[in-house]
Amino acid sequence: MLPELPTARTRLLDNLGRIRREVGPVTPEVSDAIADHMNIRRGEVDEVVSFYSFLRLPVDALRVCIGPVCDCLGARELAEQARELAPAGLPVVEVECLGHCDLAPAGTRGDLVLPSLSRPALEDAIEGRPTSLVFHSTNTGPSIDLATTDETLLDYEARGGFAVLRNLPSNERIVEELKASSLAGYGGAGFPTGVKWEAVAREPAPRYVVINADEGEPGTIKDRYVMERRPHLMLEGMLVAMRFAGATEGFIYLREEYATARVRLTRAIDELRLAGLLEGLSIELVIGAGAYICGEETAMLESMEGRRGMPRLKPPFPSEVGYLGLPTLINNVETIAHVPAILRNGGAAWAALGKRGATGVRLWSLSGAVRLPGCYEAPNGSTLRELIDEHAGGATDEIGAIVPGGAASGILPPDALDVPLTRDGLRDWGAGAGSAGVQVFPASYSPLRLLRETMRFFAEESCQKCTPCRIGNRGLHHLFEQLEHGRVAMPRGQAEEWLDAMAATSICGLGQGSPFPVRNAFRFWPDLFARLGEPAVR
Amino acid sequence: MKPTVTFTLDGQKASAPEGELLVHAAARHGVFIPTLCHDDKLDPYGGCRMCVVGVEGSPRPLPACATRVREGMAVSTNSSVPQYRKTLTEMLLAEHLNPNPGGRPNELMDMAAELGAEAPFILPDAKREEYDDRNRLMGYDPDACILCNRCVRYTQEVMQCSALSLEGRGPHARIVPTHGYSWLDTECELCGGCLSVCPTGAIYEKFEEGTRRPERALTKVKSTCTFCGVGCQIDLNVDPETNRIVKVTSDSSYVSNEGNLCVKGRFAFNFVHHPDRLTEPLVRGEDGELHPATWEHALQTAAEGLQGVKERHGPLAIGVLASARLTMEENYLIQKLARTVLGTNSVHSCEAT
Repeated sequence: MLPELPTARTRLLDNLGRIRREVGPVTPEVSDAIADHMNIRRGEVDEVVSFYSFLRLPVDALRVCIGPVCDCLGARELAEQARELAPAGLPVVEVECLGHCDLAPAGTRGDLVLPSLSRPALEDAIEGRPTSLVFHSTNTGPSIDLATTDETLLDYEARGGFAVLRNLPSNERIVEELKASSLAGYGGAGFPTGVKWEAVAREPAPRYVVINADEGEPGTIKDRYVMERRPHLMLEGMLVAMRFAGATEGFIYLREEYATARVRLTRAIDELRLAGLLEGLSIELVIGAGAYICGEETAMLESMEGRRGMPRLKPPFPSEVGYLGLPTLINNVETIAHVPAILRNGGAAWAALGKRGATGVRLWSLSGAVRLPGCYEAPNGSTLRELIDEHAGGATDEIGAIVPGGAASGILPPDALDVPLTRDGLRDWGAGAGSAGVQVFPASYSPLRLLRETMRFFAEESCQKCTPCRIGNRGLHHLFEQLEHGRVAMPRGQAEEWLDAMAATSICGLGQGSPFPVRNAFRFWPDLFARLGEPAVR
Repeated sequence: MKPTVTFTLDGQKASAPEGELLVHAAARHGVFIPTLCHDDKLDPYGGCRMCVVGVEGSPRPLPACATRVREGMAVSTNSSVPQYRKTLTEMLLAEHLNPNPGGRPNELMDMAAELGAEAPFILPDAKREEYDDRNRLMGYDPDACILCNRCVRYTQEVMQCSALSLEGRGPHARIVPTHGYSWLDTECELCGGCLSVCPTGAIYEKFEEGTRRPERALTKVKSTCTFCGVGCQIDLNVDPETNRIVKVTSDSSYVSNEGNLCVKGRFAFNFVHHPDRLTEPLVRGEDGELHPATWEHALQTAAEGLQGVKERHGPLAIGVLASARLTMEENYLIQKLARTVLGTNSVHSCEAT
């Protein structure tokens, strides 16, 4: 197989993924053979292979999700059972959030999703019997409308699809509409999309467009819903971005765990190509290999260029120096999928969809202790109570804690149920809306365990480039693990110094953001941390 | 010449060539900003974060090792910076199990002493897999490594052998020769450059295992490497008690080699004290054995021998092989001797290949 593999460094991740898929796990010998074939030094391929969680695992390994929602539903015991049941030679691995929190506790075997894991479901999966169908729980909406499914291109076009692309406004007008819409990145960082597009257009051509589909924020499933249900809509948004940026090459960086999205996107891209919609353009899927940090935009670029996915120092930003050093427009899947509606109905009309003074709509992932976990389109400015009651069918339990938008967004007490989930609304609570991955935890699940699991997640996923993230997260994980046993690893004041250093000096959002949930927990559940002593005086 | 820009450093007016790294610009103004992962031979990395400084207009402090001076920049090193530095040091100490595996200097421990930083605890996963290498020159203790990645980047950017890898993600990440193999089974040439850039001495010379004296207690004697014509500047590290050379180091300030050495320059110094080493001229006597002689007698004997060959067989019967360890100037003189005195063009040095 080696001779047919391309030798450009940018193909390294793809080559490794293909080898794993078609031949088997990437062993040191295979790693060296690829290095020699691609004329890359062996040590550098070793660095890349070991960086990702999956390249050294067989494709059919059984993966059990231990994300917070799955952990709350007993994922650890399920993983233990799976290890007992699995025959020799079938690895069972615990993986960080698989992005199927609506189906928790979840797992995967190869490309098959295993929803609502139980002992019988594990037995079926291990013996290769088909498992229950994966379903979406969602609603209709004015912008992306997940209630509709694009089965085929014809389907999408019959409903007015690609009308925006065919009558594309001028670049100035596009920027105006995006700014009028107040659309801001829904991956979690919330940077204004119009400002980003304008910045890229200011840079000299050639430029690239990259769609960030490496959704990995625990509790966040919205991009998967978009790609599985509205792939054509997302591609229309992407083509608008490519025309806007004058980019002839576009990339979608998709997390490996999203097999259905991979199939749906591949098929949709083929349809577009056959229909002549890609004239002179190429859209390529880049498949990740299991690394949360690759959702950070500069880590993603490093990964695409065939290196370890370690974030770059910013500035410069990708809009100036991006993929292969060229100006690159990077948007999250959901963000780009809102663009057609904004250009169709006007930015102001889209902005007016919000409520309580907030603008626009977004996709809310709702999981945990709710009756109908799923992904729902609802206005910005919505409160947790509205989302839970009006969309997710209400809570199933007494609510103990809520994570509003992914691991680094914060941890809120039930008192926050009526706060609008916006940047402004959550500021006083020391939290953020993040990726809108709302996870609802029952009162029976200890916030201390949630916190310990959250810090373990950050520690495991740290790329190891910078000290505060690399050791800070491990240190806090240790602190909370000890505290669960009633021991004090370091006093509260010193822990706060660690949090300050992490927030201020980490290179990227991982280490900068991970102190949020800790500070929230210190504030909202002071009794749990009383043993640590007095908080620092500020 | 780069244009000069003015900026402020802790409120004082300062100037620097445009684009100079902050860490250097500050040093020239007497403000020392500590670094661990930085090395001038390598591209800025900004990983250890020890050197972060406040820059007006930036929402977060920026690493001085990777930030370049701009006109009007306002830099501060005295607000929250000292506390960050101390906390970051505490963090590194929380997994620094062995501060002194091989006697090399440990900059992290220096910093800890200076800042009064101590580890609040040792991380339960601090212990790394042991690494034992069968090569005779370099040792490595992963428990002294702070993952600053200097050695890895050195092998990639300077030596271009990439013999070391930063493997993995999360708590189990480690730095090892490719795949954790022995250095001998990687693309390593055993130049020891990786150990020379290691700030904590995690990689060290096995060769000096005869001495337990730390490197800082040795006397450094500056010299020129005698192995080839490049003229690398070296420091012979002499044990003051035994007066023996126990290791060779080089400094990145040295012009011809910037602190880089090859395997011979760094490790092959044991000939100096070797009992077989010739310390005086020897001349073979009538009895067929070598006998000590004066330089006059030895040179006279050699000259007579060569003269004799030339007379009996002509100058083309003589060939000259010059040692690879001679300098360019010495090689020039050798060929001069061969061509003008001995009269032969058959002159060669293995440096020519």
